[in-house]
Amino acid sequence: MAAIAAEPTLVKKNYLTALREALIEEMRRNDQMICQGEDIGMLGGAFGVTEGLLDEFGSTRVIDAPIAEAAIIGTAVGMALNGKTVMAEMQFIDFISCGFDQIVNMMATYHYRTAGEVNLPVVVRGPAGGYGGGALYHSQMNEAWFCHSPGLRVVVPSTPYDAKGLLKAALRDGNPCIFFEIKELYRKNEIAEVIPDEDYIVPLGQAVIRKEGTDITFVSYGQSVYHCMSAAAELEKLGVSAEVIDIRTLVPLDEETIYKSLSKTNRVVVVNEAPMTCGFAGEIVARIANNAFNLLDAPPARVTRLDTPVPWVKPLELHVLPSVEKIVRVALQTAKY
Amino acid sequence: MSVIPTTGTAAFEPLAEIAESTNDSRPSQLLTKEDCLEIFNQLYLARYFDIRLIKEKKRGRLRGTLYSSHNQEAILVGALFGLKATDWISPIHRDMPAFFLKDSKFQWDDPTRSGMSIEEVCAQVWGKVDSPGRARDNWSHIGSKSKRIIHSTSMLAGTIPVAAGVVYADRMNGGDAVVLTFNGEGSTAQGIFHEAVNFAAVHKLPVVTIVENNQWAYGTPVHMGCPTPDVADRAHGYGIPGLVADGQDVFDVYDKVMAAVEHARSGKGPSIVECKTFRAYGHGDHDDDRAMKYRPSEEIEKGRTRDPIAICRESLIERGFLSGAEAEQYIAERKSASEATNDDFPPVVVEYLNRGIEFALNSPLPNAEEGAMWVFKENA
Ligand SMILES: Cc1ncc(C[n+]2csc(CCOP(=O)(O)OP(=O)(O)O)c2C)c(N)n1
Ligand SMILES: [Mg+2]
Repeated sequence: MAAIAAEPTLVKKNYLTALREALIEEMRRNDQMICQGEDIGMLGGAFGVTEGLLDEFGSTRVIDAPIAEAAIIGTAVGMALNGKTVMAEMQFIDFISCGFDQIVNMMATYHYRTAGEVNLPVVVRGPAGGYGGGALYHSQMNEAWFCHSPGLRVVVPSTPYDAKGLLKAALRDGNPCIFFEIKELYRKNEIAEVIPDEDYIVPLGQAVIRKEGTDITFVSYGQSVYHCMSAAAELEKLGVSAEVIDIRTLVPLDEETIYKSLSKTNRVVVVNEAPMTCGFAGEIVARIANNAFNLLDAPPARVTRLDTPVPWVKPLELHVLPSVEKIVRVALQTAKY
Repeated sequence: MSVIPTTGTAAFEPLAEIAESTNDSRPSQLLTKEDCLEIFNQLYLARYFDIRLIKEKKRGRLRGTLYSSHNQEAILVGALFGLKATDWISPIHRDMPAFFLKDSKFQWDDPTRSGMSIEEVCAQVWGKVDSPGRARDNWSHIGSKSKRIIHSTSMLAGTIPVAAGVVYADRMNGGDAVVLTFNGEGSTAQGIFHEAVNFAAVHKLPVVTIVENNQWAYGTPVHMGCPTPDVADRAHGYGIPGLVADGQDVFDVYDKVMAAVEHARSGKGPSIVECKTFRAYGHGDHDDDRAMKYRPSEEIEKGRTRDPIAICRESLIERGFLSGAEAEQYIAERKSASEATNDDFPPVVVEYLNRGIEFALNSPLPNAEEGAMWVFKENA
């Protein structure tokens, strides 16, 4: 039976498993790495991302923290200041607000204010995003807060392959990073995929084209990528060929891939789940307007959440969040402009 | 005029009311037979609410996560029973019955009372438009300004500063309201817990912080979140009284909370009342299976032997308020949601909840457009 051991595993893995593997492999690779967060040890995390870590690495490196996000992040900064790499889990990314000061004032600025003496390999990660009926405090996409705080990497993977490769890249990057995991994708079978057994990373700052097209470009990240893919399929039936770009990392942003696509399509719709005002879609539109104005045949458009919180019950939630229908509608207007 | 009263107790001193009380002068000893039977019924009501929601979910008539208050009812009933209608409360996820138990003494059905109706609470649980929050946020994230119930968010311990602000304003207005904030023991590790209790202590505000110590914060045991033997010991750092109550004994909770409330109302400042209890199931019903792995089963068995309904029944028998067949009529204790039936509860309790659920099922969903409303107050 031993003969088949060399076969690559062709088992499809979901987004959550990919993340868990990234953590386990990095913990094995780097014995200076620590994981901490609420209920990540004995329970294995609210969603199970850290399952098995405590057993393998012990309670010094896998810390069940008191319910105190500011302390979880602040102590991670101290550990990193003294040579460790730290993964700090937020049980839901919504609760990151309780640790806000330690992130934006302590962690994000450390490298800057020490003229490069200190760099902090800290990844703050947690489940994010709406469409699950999680209501105001279990649905947020608050990535813009952190894009607006210079010194932080901001990453939002949308596939299992990227989730694993980006988490590893973030842990090795040496800069603090806020890592948004899309909880609706954690166990979604449709997106499970075979991922390499060998060690790999997905470099920060590289967008990927999920679908090629010639008439219009969708730029998005996270769950919105799937909405754009569905919208592209609808548009195909209407004779409009859409290209879908998944930027994967917001900071740093791969602008080149966007402009290259625009030189072909000359039209763009940017989609994100967060509210419109000061959201990252607005930033992308602004950069396009500044740097690629000549490529445009139509005003760059946005589809975002309305400027509201995410309400609980389904009809309300769907009313405020982007949908395939809304994306198709805006894309048609942009295509016809 | 300063709103900060100048009188106060010395740090660490136990509440005079407790220190001086003999068994016979305890507040609970002054409760009448009718009061005690009402308390007994309220325990049944809280228990039935919990069990019934679990059953409704199993039947597929209800969605969303349930955070059971099973076995912690004595804390809610005992803490709320002695409050005045003008007092405020701020319940959290495990305190769903608090919304209808507030100001419910002998008047469960009075629409003018300072507590929510069972219809409103059920409409909220079912996510319908007749919920006080029009189903914009889920579960316990509701409140009512007029009924003096503070609206919580998910962020644990987040309502304690709000509670302190509310009674600060009440003082300015010449009121004598006290606020009871409810918190899990795990939530006392939050920075905002410290900031808020500290503020209340500095200003001697009438804030009574009830800590429901059910030994677990999700999958983390109490000793990993709190370094002192009792969570109430945190009070020492603020120079305020920290009391420990037996959270399974509704009368002990009543005594300790009443002492803290009187202390607060008379201007002596805040206190912490830790109620020792025990979580009956998983953190939420999504966690029931996983909880079996991280929690020793002997612990669950042992906990079940101290059911608050049974302990209350024994006290009532001892005081001669219940006897013979009457005492044995409804045996809801030590039964899980799957074991208990309607026959284990007084009909008045079952009928009350039936009405709430019927109302919720018939209440419509809010219109989609409401999702975009009330971001700002509209000025005409
Ligand atoms: C700021 C914040 N961090 C984390 C959570 C996630 N969370 C919800 S309940 C809970 C455990 C609370 O434990 P405890 O305070 O003991 O209350 P219990 O559930 O035991 O009644 C956690 C960690 C949250 N709601 N808010
Ligand atoms: Mg607890």
